[in-house]
Amino acid sequence: MSEQSLLQVKDLSSKINDTEILHGINLEIRKGETHVLMGPNGAGKSTLGYTLMGNPNYEVTGGKIFFEGEDITDISTDKRAKAGMFLSFQNPLEVPGISLGSFIRNAFHEQTGVPVKLLKFKKDLASSMDILTMDHGYADRDLNVGFSGGEKKKAEILQMLMLNPKLAILDETDSGLDVDAVRTVSKGIEEFQKKEDGALLIITHSTKILEALHVDYTHVLVNGTIVKTGGAELVDEINENGFEQFLQ
Amino acid sequence: MSDNKTVVVDVDRSVYDIKDIETEEEFYREKEGFTRDIVEKLSEEKDDPKWMRDLRFRSLELFEKQKNTTWGPDVSDLDLNRISSYVRHKSEMKTDWEDVPEDIKNTFERLGIPEAERKSLAGVGAQYDSELVYHNLKDEVARAGVVYTDMEAAVKGEYADLVEQYFMKVIPPTDHKYAALHGAVWSGGSFVYVPKGVKVEVPLQSYFRLNAAGAGQFEHTLIIVDEGADLHFIEGCSAPKYNVANLHAGAVELVVKKNARLRYSTIENWSKNMYNLNTKRAIVEENGRMEWVSGSFGSHTSYLYPMTILKGDNSQMEYTGITFAGKGQNLDTGAKVVHQGKNTKSVISTKSISKDGGIGTYRSSVVIAASAKNAKASISCDSLMLDSISRSDTVPAMDIRTNDADVGHEAKIGRISDDAIFYLMSRGLSEEDARAMIVSGFANPVSKELPLEYAVEMNNLIKLEMSGNM
Amino acid sequence: MIVNVLPVLTYRWLHLNDSELDDKYINVTDTVSPAPIALPAGVSRTTLSRSEAEKVFDNAAQLLAKEDEKYVSPNGDMYFRNKEQKIHTGMGIDIDKLLDKMNVQTDVYTAEENKKISEPVVIRYELEDGSGSLSSQIIHAKKNSEITVILDYRSEINAGGFHGVSTKLLAEEGAKINLIKVQMLGYNYIHIDDIGAVCMKNADIEDTQLELGSSKSWNGIYVNLLGDESVFNGNIGYLCKDEQNYDINYIAQQNGKRTDSKCVCRGVLIDKASKTFKGTIDFRVGSSGSVGDEQEDTLLLSPDVINRTMPVILCQEEDVDGRHGATIGQLDEDTLFYMQSRGISSEQAKKIVVKARLDSIANMIPDDEVKAKAAHFIQNAL
Repeated sequence: MSEQSLLQVKDLSSKINDTEILHGINLEIRKGETHVLMGPNGAGKSTLGYTLMGNPNYEVTGGKIFFEGEDITDISTDKRAKAGMFLSFQNPLEVPGISLGSFIRNAFHEQTGVPVKLLKFKKDLASSMDILTMDHGYADRDLNVGFSGGEKKKAEILQMLMLNPKLAILDETDSGLDVDAVRTVSKGIEEFQKKEDGALLIITHSTKILEALHVDYTHVLVNGTIVKTGGAELVDEINENGFEQFLQ
Repeated sequence: MSDNKTVVVDVDRSVYDIKDIETEEEFYREKEGFTRDIVEKLSEEKDDPKWMRDLRFRSLELFEKQKNTTWGPDVSDLDLNRISSYVRHKSEMKTDWEDVPEDIKNTFERLGIPEAERKSLAGVGAQYDSELVYHNLKDEVARAGVVYTDMEAAVKGEYADLVEQYFMKVIPPTDHKYAALHGAVWSGGSFVYVPKGVKVEVPLQSYFRLNAAGAGQFEHTLIIVDEGADLHFIEGCSAPKYNVANLHAGAVELVVKKNARLRYSTIENWSKNMYNLNTKRAIVEENGRMEWVSGSFGSHTSYLYPMTILKGDNSQMEYTGITFAGKGQNLDTGAKVVHQGKNTKSVISTKSISKDGGIGTYRSSVVIAASAKNAKASISCDSLMLDSISRSDTVPAMDIRTNDADVGHEAKIGRISDDAIFYLMSRGLSEEDARAMIVSGFANPVSKELPLEYAVEMNNLIKLEMSGNM
Repeated sequence: MIVNVLPVLTYRWLHLNDSELDDKYINVTDTVSPAPIALPAGVSRTTLSRSEAEKVFDNAAQLLAKEDEKYVSPNGDMYFRNKEQKIHTGMGIDIDKLLDKMNVQTDVYTAEENKKISEPVVIRYELEDGSGSLSSQIIHAKKNSEITVILDYRSEINAGGFHGVSTKLLAEEGAKINLIKVQMLGYNYIHIDDIGAVCMKNADIEDTQLELGSSKSWNGIYVNLLGDESVFNGNIGYLCKDEQNYDINYIAQQNGKRTDSKCVCRGVLIDKASKTFKGTIDFRVGSSGSVGDEQEDTLLLSPDVINRTMPVILCQEEDVDGRHGATIGQLDEDTLFYMQSRGISSEQAKKIVVKARLDSIANMIPDDEVKAKAAHFIQNAL
């Protein structure tokens, strides 16, 4: 294992409702790297995201997950988050009664353990919202309640920027967004990349969001197995030829 | 400890639980039970006018005749022969905290009452067991003609006629057994009169503290908001926990005159040996508006359904309530409204949470009389079950006697979804904190109706209940 | 006698806790249940004493008794009032007692195992003025069978008398019962209609009821969703005018996992008519994953109508989803305005809306003759 290794997935299999979705996944992400996980619908991409983050509905049936060398296969979701992992949800949940701003502040406090300085927090939040061209009024609205699809995705990226994880897993962050929104979200992701050592695992089935981003590795997931790993050029190849070549 | 650091600052339940020692030198305590002798003595001691004396005895007779209800929580364990009707400190009521006996003053200091008074209240009344120990109204409010005094003084004072006109008329002693008991042995409480057109900008508060073990508290609150006037009244209550039953059977009578508005907010945090059999009722005249904000957290057993009679045309009421039934609690709460005037409007919105074997019942009645043309009523009640050893029941009734009415009712019951918990945990919250956060969010429509300090107190109580360390 | 008792009591002054059925109304002269007009192949009919007939419920009753051990009483609990009933009914034990007192025999209709019978069993009551009929049936759908039963009650429009029916249903594992009751009695009839039902695993009961005639009508429906994944679907429609009075007590008791109850009650009140609807969803311990939904929609068309509604949810289980909705009021102004803008008078518009509302229930009747008769009855009533 390299010094810089952040996430190491060894022979990982997992199931939901008695159906095994992932079969022996191997993956290593080092600090600062950006990985892209592509694959057709139903390949198990979201399952990988959920399994890495420890969703109790997904049961690990084999293999191990290490984060910064620690075995995290069996630890709870909040501890993974505290360790520096972040998952952006494809369908973020609505939580009535808690505002986006106070939620982020709570999560921040929870993760760092130090009290949040209100003024500085508000300044940081405002500048992050500006990057994402979010109306500041969203900070006072109930978390995801009544947000449009695009606003929800932006709110997820906002949380990523504010919580500043070591590894962010973005699950279909671009799906259902128009061109402008994709560009904005992508700008948010760039901002995250700029910060030192911020690693990314971008789960997507399209390539639009990747256009402006630096990509180190691309993995192709088919039927719960990584069938090919390559560099950024693999994205272009899929862009041209689709997934058919991998579907045998 | 992780469970006490999110959402709001930490709070310590022990604040409510500190007991003062009741010594014979300092306190007078009536013997237990409710007899003619006791009522006689009480009436004498209070030097009641004749009408009040008659009311007490008439009420006592009604009390003796009436039975407990069959529809609510079981109160057969409440032995009225072991409840003392009257406990009082031997000092007089004061208007300066410095003059209040040390022990009692310290209790209210711990509950933050004098501080709240300095910061955000126009007046405060503090009752300790059966009598008020402190009562004060800010000068500028008093100058506007607002009257805020202890009930005993009001019965005999300048406003005696007004008191006689309404006292136990909004809630007649015939109403139920404990209203009758209240009529017989009431003691303490506050009288408020807001003159025509006077808008009291900052709230008044009465705080009721029951320190004595095995005692009853029977305070009477009468508020009259005259035409075009405006008032926010806050009621707080707490008690230390004992192993014997305590009883609270207060009465709150509210009169909202033409074009007036009254908001009545309560955070009820009685200890879990309390039988809270309280009655609250408002009469609203033409174009008046009654607003209730009610949080029920404490008590062993509660019967509490603030009732509003929308008597005048265009009168309105809004009820926002939350009930949190935890271990060993049976809280039967809700609201009642009767529409009599034309174009009257009522909105009832409640939240109910059950946990650790607690029983939470939402009970209500909405009556629209034939005279209430163009009445509108909307009811929504949400319940949250936090485990499968508790109970959460919803028992609303609607009785509509005109076609010219528009009534909507919505009730939902459910749980916290696993997906929501996972989402919050993925942002680093522990499962416990994630649950607490969702419950706080669920309660938010109620807490946002409260002044900030009380919203914080309410959140603290939720937090405390959720951590399960009570 | 006392009928339609709420499963939990509430404030006494509302007089909603139960209904009194005055004994003077109960004049029973005939205890023979009519033979079905049609008895399709795969269904048998036998006539037994009530105690003998109810033996089909032995197993279900035993399982229910076991479930009751986990029951924690809600405030004002009345569940145990009907403890002596092998299978609880909506109107309650007093109806069973009446059946026994009058020595009413029970017709048991049994659908054979695995038989899916699409042709309905039609039981028709054609009542004379002054008659006093009391009868009882059990509909027993054996494993994986399917049966449809239509009961229709009719008489001359101004006829009077007493008519009482008790119908108990047992849908065994994987079975489906489709029950339709259409009440088109004369406006001087007293009518009582009591239902008790049990659904075993994966079973499904559909109940469609249309209450149109009689002067006073009591109706009780108690459904036990005992088996996992069992389903109840109720559709109740009513039209009350003049001084008609309709009192209904519906209870869905959900014990099994992932059970599903749904009840829609839709009706119209005109003149001095009054209606009381008590609807309870009762989630018992162990009913995890269950949903219960009850929707009431009442149209009030005259100033003197009385509409009373008690939508109760009882819950002793965390993982459930219970919902109640009620919309009570006049015809909405937008609809009225729209119709008027097309040249329809407001009177006529009201009729159209009322008819559409009741037809939505009537259209569920799988028998053209009954459906047409009901439509005709509604048309005449307006």
